[in-house]
Amino acid sequence: MLVFTRKRDEAIIIGDGIEVRVLRVGRDGVRLGVTAPPNVAIHRREVYDQIRVANATAAGDRESLNQIAARLRDARLAGARGRS
Amino acid sequence: MTPLSLANTVITFDEGLPGFESARRFVVVASPALEPFALVQAADEGEPSFLAIEPRLVDPSYASPLADSDLLRLGAEQKTPLLWLVLITMHPDGSATVNLKAPIVINPGTMRGLQLVAPDSPYLIDHPLPPV
Repeated sequence: MLVFTRKRDEAIIIGDGIEVRVLRVGRDGVRLGVTAPPNVAIHRREVYDQIRVANATAAGDRESLNQIAARLRDARLAGARGRS
Repeated sequence: MTPLSLANTVITFDEGLPGFESARRFVVVASPALEPFALVQAADEGEPSFLAIEPRLVDPSYASPLADSDLLRLGAEQKTPLLWLVLITMHPDGSATVNLKAPIVINPGTMRGLQLVAPDSPYLIDHPLPPV
């Protein structure tokens, strides 16, 4: 990992056109400004990680997913009959 | 825009999905036999598939805003009709939840898709799948 010391209003440049600037340094956090080309996705790590875990749990193979779909459909149909 | 209208076309996800960054090509499999569900199925060997449903069938008022960067990545504009799908997770107790927080968004016009990673989404990552 590359480690930098940056002061307020100082920045680093990553690759072609991505800039990360230190806007404010507080006791509990650092406020960063990121400038990047509009097609570059920028995510907060913890949100991305949460979705990564959810995707890993949701992923399956074709056959088992088809079985799950059939089971959920049956449950819904049974529920609909129960209510009518 | 329904999953059926996209059946069997390869959709390109330039960044893959979180956790499956190498999975770039997916096919949406929809059929009357699957309805109201659809499969978001990897087009390449060894990559994962997902069971999905349109979010409006879970929450009729569902709306997640897209940032300009999202639209750009989809090759879409604000008014472009898009297909929205949310992924279903089955739990060991037999219950099912849907990830309303990070929907799959597909632009049928460009055949490009992405999974929305919205930091301020008010929706749950594990919203219970209602029975109807």
